[in-house]
Amino acid sequence: VVTITEVRPDGKTLRLARRARVLGEMEAAGIDVLVVGREGNARYVSGAPRLWTAGSRAFGPGCVLVRATGSVHLLSTWDEGIPDEIPHENLYGISFNAMNFVKALQRIEGAARARTVATDALTPSSAQLLPKAFPSAELIDGEPLLRRVRRVKTPEEVDAIRASVRVAERSLEEAEAALAPGVTERQLTGVFMEAMASHGVTTPATQDFAWITSRQHPWRRASRDVPVEPGDLVAFEAGVILGGYAGELGRTHSVDGDVAIDGALSQSWDELWDRLLAACRLGAPLTELLGAYEAVGVPPPPMPVARGLGLGFDLPLVTHALPRTAADQHVEVGMVLALTAYVWKEGVGAVYGQEPLVVTATGPEPLSSNPFRDARSSVT
Amino acid sequence: MHRERGQRVRALMREQGLDVLVLLGNTNVAYATGAIWPLADSGRANFEQPVAVVVVDDEWPHLFSPVREDDRLHTELPSDHLHGPVYLDFDEGVELFASQLAGMVPASPVIAVDEWTNALRRERSLLFAPDAPVDGGRVISRAKATKTDDELSCMREGLRITERAAAEVQARLAPGVRQSDLTATFLRTIFDAGADANILDPIWQVMPPRIADGPWTTTGDLACPLLTTERKVAEGDVLWVDTGISYGGFHSDFGRTWIVGREPDARQRAQFERWREIMGAVLEVTRAGVTAAELTAAAISAAGGVKPWMPHFYLGHGLGIDSAEMPYVGSDIGEAFDATLVLAEGMVLVLEPIVWEDGAAGYRSEEVLHITEEGWMPMTDYPYDPF
Repeated sequence: VVTITEVRPDGKTLRLARRARVLGEMEAAGIDVLVVGREGNARYVSGAPRLWTAGSRAFGPGCVLVRATGSVHLLSTWDEGIPDEIPHENLYGISFNAMNFVKALQRIEGAARARTVATDALTPSSAQLLPKAFPSAELIDGEPLLRRVRRVKTPEEVDAIRASVRVAERSLEEAEAALAPGVTERQLTGVFMEAMASHGVTTPATQDFAWITSRQHPWRRASRDVPVEPGDLVAFEAGVILGGYAGELGRTHSVDGDVAIDGALSQSWDELWDRLLAACRLGAPLTELLGAYEAVGVPPPPMPVARGLGLGFDLPLVTHALPRTAADQHVEVGMVLALTAYVWKEGVGAVYGQEPLVVTATGPEPLSSNPFRDARSSVT
Repeated sequence: MHRERGQRVRALMREQGLDVLVLLGNTNVAYATGAIWPLADSGRANFEQPVAVVVVDDEWPHLFSPVREDDRLHTELPSDHLHGPVYLDFDEGVELFASQLAGMVPASPVIAVDEWTNALRRERSLLFAPDAPVDGGRVISRAKATKTDDELSCMREGLRITERAAAEVQARLAPGVRQSDLTATFLRTIFDAGADANILDPIWQVMPPRIADGPWTTTGDLACPLLTTERKVAEGDVLWVDTGISYGGFHSDFGRTWIVGREPDARQRAQFERWREIMGAVLEVTRAGVTAAELTAAAISAAGGVKPWMPHFYLGHGLGIDSAEMPYVGSDIGEAFDATLVLAEGMVLVLEPIVWEDGAAGYRSEEVLHITEEGWMPMTDYPYDPF
């Protein structure tokens, strides 16, 4: 584990490979300028770490990539952590005045002539303002391009995600040790977050770390301040952001460590997990992941069956709520996904396991050092 | 609290001729529905996104949510207004949402949104005309600007939790401690004390003696806030601290200057005294009915003719469901705007002037207060130690 004592841009190989992919897709799609607001997209394009805040952010012109010059223009008042290839004159500062953003964009070489400008989202007001900065341009959807490049990871990206998963795992171990009757979900979250920061990472992927699964309802939950009781099945969702990349994994523990998880439920989880893994074969439509639940007679889980891991939001997103979207996506080499198996039994509770996997030419490979199945069999 | 908010929001919708408000922004959804959930990383918040629909003639908002904290939501909303998650970044998700929405809204409704995904942009059957939709975020901006007594009391609790954690951190502060260790203590304490989430990666910035010793900036002024790393703090370091949490749907804010392992010297004490004079001059004029320009004028005059705040920020900002919201006092929206921005009773203001002495660093703290008819009331009582 590397100790980070100063703010640095993402490694040169990593960031230049990402940017080249985006520029290649811009070329193919005839996009002159790409304007992104989502932090993951901005990081992908720029390689610059910026301030972390929790929660969604409305679109703003956080980062601009010009195809003709390959130049990156970035919302940053300072140059700390900014890659060398982004010169000072390409930085524009924090502003509370939308017109100042328009002026900053107008100054970008190529803005006036751009015919096609793609954005990752908009707001009603930015939809009015962007045409002032790009007067000759049609505003189009840049998300298909970004999703295409982002869903398949470069080898450096897989390494970055693996490092992030490692921190999530180590922090999870410390929180697991704190699981005992009387502790609350909120307290367990505090233990996890403290451990994460002690490992040098101060940014969580999620702050909903622990969940006492209900014995009465497939997914409902009570307040975060209810004390854990003996026999509860407690689900953990460990997620951290290291170097911009999300490392996430999910586990379930029976309170009182020596009590095994209900045998039938455990068996059902294993069966589901085997089906899910089998569905991760190259070229398979992602509907097969949804089908795995049906095949073993388990109702759809209350969360997506699979989510891409990367710089925050990534494809694939596989949920029973979006079957057509799942059918349009296929298992590809280089995809990194968090795959979820979730089973529930009345009177017992739920077993939730989420495993980060990278799809390789020979099949899915776990990114965690102690996959849930192994971890669970060693406990039970 | 939520009934009153609902009335405010719907009154503003009527005023603006809106039938339906579709809200995607996390904090706007929290405001409109009363739903509270631990906010995730912004990337993840994109797809795990609760969505609110407010219909002007319906007392209750609709909530489409992946959040599984059902018991609490049921206490706020009737069950026929609680729906499963929608995915508005996908065409399929928008189609499903539009079909659900069709059953909730009047014929040919005027719909406003706060955010506009590309998938929403393509949906023309029901939601929007080909032009940009009406900005629904403004309704929430206006509704949230002043706080009710219930809201103020909730905010006080969030501030109290933040300060309890800050006190734990301050007790641990010593030469050799890593910035990330300070964050570890902060995060553990806020959750133990009841926080819903951390909102800002806490800042423990070691200030350079001179601006030129820090990073280059677009303004030629200070770079702040800079990211936390595993850097060890050293004796005599001047730390500018800035952090905030979420509690009960509100964000808190905390800002102080600390010195590592030493008492402040005479020069540093003098900086603090000057900061107090500036803060005192601003507070002297602060009350409902004054403009933001009167506050900035008081600050500039007390600072001897210079703006005692960082040019990329402001002298002060509002605080509520967002960490920084209207009223912005002294921002780059401009002096003309400040002259028209009138403080109102029930607004919560964070004042954050700075004193900078190039060569000897400087002092910055934040004061959180709420505006009253006669003046203001402090919302916190955290000490200025070691000053």
